[in-house]
Amino acid sequence: MLQTQQGYHWQLKDEHASIHFNAMASPCELLVDTLEPELVELLAKLAYAETKRIEHKFSRYVADNIVAKINSSCGQVVEIDQEVFQLLTFAEQCYQLSEHLFDITSGVLRKAWHFDCSDNLPSQQQVESCMQYVGWDKVKFEHNSIRLQPDMQLDFGGIGKEYAVSRVAQLCLAHAPNNSVLVNFGGDIQVSQAKKNGQAWHVGIEDPITGKAEQVLQLTSGALATSGDTNKYLLKDGVRYSHILNPQTGWPVVNAPRSVTVLASHCIQAGCLATIGLLYGADCEDFLQAQQVKFWCSR
Amino acid sequence: MQLIKFSNINGALAAATCTLLAGVSNAQADEKSNDWQFDTAIMYYGEPDRVQAVEGVVSATKDFGDEHVFSTKLVLDTLTGASANGAVAQTSAQTFTRPSGNGEYTVEAGDTPLDDTFRDTRVQLNLAWNQPWGANQKVGAGLHISNEYDYLSVALNANYALDFNRKNTTFSVAASYAADEYSPEGGIPLALSKMAIRGDFANDDAFNSGFDDTRIGESENKDTLDVIFGLSQVINRRWLVQFNYGYSQVDGYLSDPFKVVSLVDDTGSALGHYYESRPDSRSKHSIFAQSKYHFDSLVWDMSYRLASDDWGIDSHTLESRLYIPLSDSAWITPHVRYYQQSAADFYRPFVQGDLAEYMSADYRIGQMTAYTLGLKYTQKLSDGDELSMRLEYYQQTPENSGFNSPGQLADVDLYPSVSAVIFQLGYKF
Amino acid sequence: MKKQLLALSLMSLALSGCANLGVNPWERDLLAKPQMQLAAESTDMALDDHIYFSKEATSGGRSFAGGGCGCN
Repeated sequence: MLQTQQGYHWQLKDEHASIHFNAMASPCELLVDTLEPELVELLAKLAYAETKRIEHKFSRYVADNIVAKINSSCGQVVEIDQEVFQLLTFAEQCYQLSEHLFDITSGVLRKAWHFDCSDNLPSQQQVESCMQYVGWDKVKFEHNSIRLQPDMQLDFGGIGKEYAVSRVAQLCLAHAPNNSVLVNFGGDIQVSQAKKNGQAWHVGIEDPITGKAEQVLQLTSGALATSGDTNKYLLKDGVRYSHILNPQTGWPVVNAPRSVTVLASHCIQAGCLATIGLLYGADCEDFLQAQQVKFWCSR
Repeated sequence: MQLIKFSNINGALAAATCTLLAGVSNAQADEKSNDWQFDTAIMYYGEPDRVQAVEGVVSATKDFGDEHVFSTKLVLDTLTGASANGAVAQTSAQTFTRPSGNGEYTVEAGDTPLDDTFRDTRVQLNLAWNQPWGANQKVGAGLHISNEYDYLSVALNANYALDFNRKNTTFSVAASYAADEYSPEGGIPLALSKMAIRGDFANDDAFNSGFDDTRIGESENKDTLDVIFGLSQVINRRWLVQFNYGYSQVDGYLSDPFKVVSLVDDTGSALGHYYESRPDSRSKHSIFAQSKYHFDSLVWDMSYRLASDDWGIDSHTLESRLYIPLSDSAWITPHVRYYQQSAADFYRPFVQGDLAEYMSADYRIGQMTAYTLGLKYTQKLSDGDELSMRLEYYQQTPENSGFNSPGQLADVDLYPSVSAVIFQLGYKF
Repeated sequence: MKKQLLALSLMSLALSGCANLGVNPWERDLLAKPQMQLAAESTDMALDDHIYFSKEATSGGRSFAGGGCGCN
């Protein structure tokens, strides 16, 4: 049975329902351990609306959203709502906890770096001219306002999708308190709660290079997030420059794993750990070891 | 040897994640429920053999947007029972005239004289408006009306607050002016006049005339001006402190029309009971300091108040509350309060020889220590409502501040302790 | 009078120390909790104030000392 509605569709399978839509440049999927059409329709509608709401609000590519407003404010104070404040607060905490490596202002560096798998490295001068517009510590924000220096840019791309997964999982928990829902947005995954029968969801972890399901993980609760540079890198003189840029130097992190997957209780938490791990480059595994989380690195 | 390079940030990150996800869902819930918020409670207060009171409170608050907040509160309480009339206990039974002049009550030998005619119902209404004034200031104003069978109080108040240092420091000033009218049953007694007792008069007419001689009118007034200067300061992410200085000036009828002082002879026997007399003005100063500290999960609220007035009463109050979470939705709050006061200059448990210009045997302005022990349980319900239960035990221990007890007064308890139990149910929605 | 002077100097001490104290808006997660509000439990406080107003010689300090009732 296949239902098509605006933007999303769902079907009932043997033991669960699956919901599909496309958002945030990824295929989005929800698996629900129910066969009740009404509940599936409700969750599909809610998840789709919430995901689109977040995508529209925090995407860099939307012309008239709050991110565009902030990024084109030319040093003026911009009013923000509670949700933006909460995300900025979260970004601030990640910045502090990662020794200033996790920085949502580092997107400006993309003006110098074009990761097209070529060998076109920018000059140090080009990098330095971008660096003056990078640095979270230059951002001033309060409960209801933010001020960005002219030419600085915020980019929620590093946490937006994971945030959406966590929010949708939360919504599913609120509206389907007796069901388990697996939310999967292009490999960033969160389970709303364990199945009542104790069974696990089976999640395949792909090898980013071969694309084969390398191992199957039994996920009862919690979240998975993956960060990597599979298709975005530069290669020059045998050195592979990942698209993960160190906001302290303006240069790509060297010797980072190609892909990191972390298991944690919330998707946005797992995503941040994976990203921070990548930013530590060669020390990624040591860092994640210290976090006492389950993780998979492929080099 | 491998050095440990990385610390575990996962705990902090998990906390940040929870704040993010919880905060946003709350924020969206708040937007929806931009309606009236209610806080209701019903409280029982009981002193064995003395006063019992039941008090109900309904508070309602509405945010009209941008922190323009209207709040109103309705309080209803009812009081019954007996209260010490100030006279000393004797080794024989004593008879007193009721405050109304109609009838008498008898107190057994050795018992503290209690007037058992207290019965009152009170209605109180508060209205308040608070709003921001520019970016860093807040202003507010309020009205308070309280009406009893024999008492009416009307008060106006205003407040101003200024935030600075990234809203970490707040300076505030608040003032209140209250006008009270007291019309006790039986009228206002003449200070220092002797309580008329029917047995001392030949007939009812003589007694009535004698009783009327102790009355000076139907009602009396009192004005109270309160000013409080406050300073609150965020010390760090976990710690918040507040300091207040308060000044209070009360003018008018400050005596208690139901209280007497016993005149005793060398053997401690009461020769008569005289209506108390207090000065007609009182200036009070207080300093209040409060600290709130957030440990990893506990919150500790601690406060101290020092007060001093020109009646010679100094007091110290120490109070502590600890919020202990039991789960995400429930917590218990143990509460301890310690209070100690010195006696007013004119406090006399009894008088010998001559009456004083100002005198009162009201134990509440005598030397005293008191403590309160309490426990509150709060449960957040799935729909966001909050249910709470509170049980407290309050004990007052009046003390002798240096008076010798002549004759039979050595054999009776002049400073009896008073204990009370408080039980309260609360519901917020 | 001595007491008042002491209080005033304490207050000014607190005032002068302010500049370095405090947190940024995004560090108010704990301070935002209901238990950390100075006005927390205002209903309980008001009920207690009414009891202690009628049973003890001192009132106010935290808020107005008030008149407001005959309270025996």
